[in-house]
Amino acid sequence: MVKYTIKRLLQTLVTVLIVATIVFLLMRMLPTDYFFTEEQLMKLTPEQKQEQLQAAGLTDPIGEQLVRFYGQVLRLDFGESRRIQSGVDVVKVIGSKFTVSMRLGCTALVISLIVGVFIGIIQTINKDKILDHIGTGYTIFVNAVPSLVSYSLVLVFGSTVLGLPSLYSTRNPGPSSILPVVCLSLASIAHYALWTRRYMVDELNKDYIKLARVKGMSFKNIMTKHVFKNAFVPLVQYIPTSFLYTIGGSLLVERFFSVPGMGPLLNDAIIRYDVNVVQTLAIIYASLGTIGVFIGDVLMMLIDPRIKLAGKGETR
Amino acid sequence: MKKRTKLLALVLALGMVLTGCGSNDAGNGGSGDGIKDLVTWETSNREMENVFILNSEMANDLNVLGNCYEGLLETDPQGKLIPGLAKEWGTEDGGLTWTFKLREGVKWVDVNGNEKADCTAQDFVTGLEWVMNFHKNVAMNTSMPTALIKGCKEYYEYTKELTAEEALALDNTKFLEMVGIETPDDYTVVYHCISNATYFDTVCVSACLYPLSAAFVAEVGAENVLGSTNETIWYNGPYTLTEFIQGNTKTLTKNPTYWDTECSLFDTVTIRIIEDTTVGFQLYQNGELDHIDLSEANLRTIWEDENNEYRDQLAEKLPKKYSFQMHLNYDKYNEDGSKDENWNKAAGNEAFRQCLYYGLDLTKYLERYNFINPLKLENNAYTMKGLLYFSDGTDYVSKVNEMLALGESDGKTTVRYDADKAAQFKAQAMEELAAEGVTFPIEIDYYIVAGSQNALDNATVLQQVFSECLGDDFVKLNIGTYVSSLSKEVVQPKLHSFVINGWGADYGDPQNFLGQETYGEDTAYYSNNYSNVNESTDEDLIATYKEFTELVNKANAITDDMDARYQAYADAEVYMLQHALSIPIYYEINWQLTHVNDYTKSNAMYGIQNYMYKNWETSVDAYTTEQYKAFEEEFNN
Repeated sequence: MVKYTIKRLLQTLVTVLIVATIVFLLMRMLPTDYFFTEEQLMKLTPEQKQEQLQAAGLTDPIGEQLVRFYGQVLRLDFGESRRIQSGVDVVKVIGSKFTVSMRLGCTALVISLIVGVFIGIIQTINKDKILDHIGTGYTIFVNAVPSLVSYSLVLVFGSTVLGLPSLYSTRNPGPSSILPVVCLSLASIAHYALWTRRYMVDELNKDYIKLARVKGMSFKNIMTKHVFKNAFVPLVQYIPTSFLYTIGGSLLVERFFSVPGMGPLLNDAIIRYDVNVVQTLAIIYASLGTIGVFIGDVLMMLIDPRIKLAGKGETR
Repeated sequence: MKKRTKLLALVLALGMVLTGCGSNDAGNGGSGDGIKDLVTWETSNREMENVFILNSEMANDLNVLGNCYEGLLETDPQGKLIPGLAKEWGTEDGGLTWTFKLREGVKWVDVNGNEKADCTAQDFVTGLEWVMNFHKNVAMNTSMPTALIKGCKEYYEYTKELTAEEALALDNTKFLEMVGIETPDDYTVVYHCISNATYFDTVCVSACLYPLSAAFVAEVGAENVLGSTNETIWYNGPYTLTEFIQGNTKTLTKNPTYWDTECSLFDTVTIRIIEDTTVGFQLYQNGELDHIDLSEANLRTIWEDENNEYRDQLAEKLPKKYSFQMHLNYDKYNEDGSKDENWNKAAGNEAFRQCLYYGLDLTKYLERYNFINPLKLENNAYTMKGLLYFSDGTDYVSKVNEMLALGESDGKTTVRYDADKAAQFKAQAMEELAAEGVTFPIEIDYYIVAGSQNALDNATVLQQVFSECLGDDFVKLNIGTYVSSLSKEVVQPKLHSFVINGWGADYGDPQNFLGQETYGEDTAYYSNNYSNVNESTDEDLIATYKEFTELVNKANAITDDMDARYQAYADAEVYMLQHALSIPIYYEINWQLTHVNDYTKSNAMYGIQNYMYKNWETSVDAYTTEQYKAFEEEFNN
């Protein structure tokens, strides 16, 4: 297990390094025009543009820039933001946002897990009955209706009928988080309900369940001791990644409710050619992704001892 | 007796509270129901990026920072210059030397309003040194000082040769030796211009000439100034930025030490970031915003329902500061990289351009921007109205319109539209161009951003206007798309037949508009980037441009008589328009629901102060359409 963990961590490190290098090179491959706003692009003379690029260190040879970048990463110095918050340390820019996203995201995830899995169980127990159809209807509705439409419905209903704040406010984080959390949870609840139902129905149709029934095991025991436990295993794998990805925030929800989180940050940083922010976010997301998968694997193994992550000469 | 006095005092105090008397209260037009804490908005794609005013060139930042910092001058609702930190100013040699006398007792404060230092003439030297020091301000905001103030260019080049460490360590000594700025005493600043800059004072409301406290630089360290946050910068403006949550909220709080104790300020101004105006409309309905611009859809919903609760609250905004023009491309290329000779010959032909000038009835197109009052958007001049005035108070653009003698509107079509003239020019153009080998219909390529239904709808209407007014036998408007950047994908490869673009002034002189269209000059923005006239080989066109350029330069040389100067510019502008070198299209006038009287805001066509929350008249109840019409009438008289 220890050997496996070290091996996976090293793999993670290499993956992150490769991703960071690719992102670095991709950003440098973009025409330098993207460094400027539309107005600057047209108004500045070629000399003025060159001077601004020079001041930002973007006219140095790529190799030199890459070595400088590695050196900075090793020192955990991710530089300063150029456009998102001009001159401010990237870590500070990101740090102020990720706590907001994580708090909302984790709340939504917990709600989604509890409500979604519960709905999935209810649907399974009432398979092909009215409650099952209602659950399926909800899942189809959430997936079929464009997110912005459902968010608008939540906004109008929440603010007009329930009198909740329409936008997120740091002065009033509790009540103003309700609508964003509801929107964040809508799709996840449907997701967990759908997969819980599917895995549980699959389990119910397996031979060992039929045998358990024949042997006179009660429905309740079958559901709790076998069906749910086995159906939950595939879901568990994705929970750590989902938790870690809450740091990343949601682009749509955060934009819609003006949540000062991480969601729109990568998008904005790319559009504004804020190289340091893009590179740092790429490193963070790559790390989160690989670590999340690793923890998911370990968790799955812990819940179901039949699963082996590393056998003789092989890894999962 | 004592009881009576107490009672009287109580009544008086109560009266004062109810009527909102006292200094530094938000304006209310005397009705006693003004807003104390304004809640305004900005869309998420225009979020602020920089809190250090000298390092920013973006309206997103400057709209907020204009409240945190105070410059030499301010602008009033008519767009005229009024005293700011300078209580008096002037030039005695036709704009070569400008002297500004500063008021005393102005303080720099921290974010909490604690006094840090006095604001003196030295701060303007420190500010300009910072801007012109290559390593300190990384080449931002340098263009106007370089073009206007003696020695700025040389100092900039000098600092560029230094190492970053050396440049950051520079104080003002070398700067004062090299650059045309001096401070005879603590409250006088003198600028020496390269040539007669009669409009130099209008540059004083731009960020490049704002002050910077040397004590602030010493406190945070020169290397950390560009990384300043709202909590570390020093303020000398009417507000301090007490809260800045990127992507969510900015809060401006009244600066208790602000010099202008007679003005009205809000206690706080909260700027909420919203996704778009549709979300904003929902917030306005909930009472969470004090004003909101209306999208076309929201405006139609309200306008077309007479029982809508907001129907009698629709308020028409003042024109934005951009004059939109159709800039023709005289050196157009096809997408395969070959020259589009067919278009280039047509654009060079004056009769063809006159067809565009007189032959397009743009009413339907203008309805796309303001379907209630489309003709109000009609623009027939090149310079933006309200930019400057003759000494008798006549707006420069009114003079241009008068000289153009386009006649009166019939209330149905645009003033400029003249079907008879257009038919004559069409026949002439077709004959002349056919002789040059031009094939018909002439393909006209117009580009819009991909994925925008609104842009596509606007372009489709324009396409219909071209078709109906000029005829399918003559021209054919093709709508192309670009993905993200008009300049990178269309303008630089010269794919456009024309671009419709708005120009907002950098300073208050016609040179800033007409100087962008001159021939053979590096500083002419539109000639070099959009019309590409310098690359044209059409001799008639070049001769017309040269004549126009001569008229502009002649006007620019007049520095001792401002009326004569403006008249000369008006002659040049009329010449340009009569030869249809550029086709004026529209002004932007939108609709809103609001608790703010826009006619009390600063409304300059240049500078950074139109979002300065000072002396704004507001009302707790939303203003009605009737009230707004009355404001407009009063403003225009």
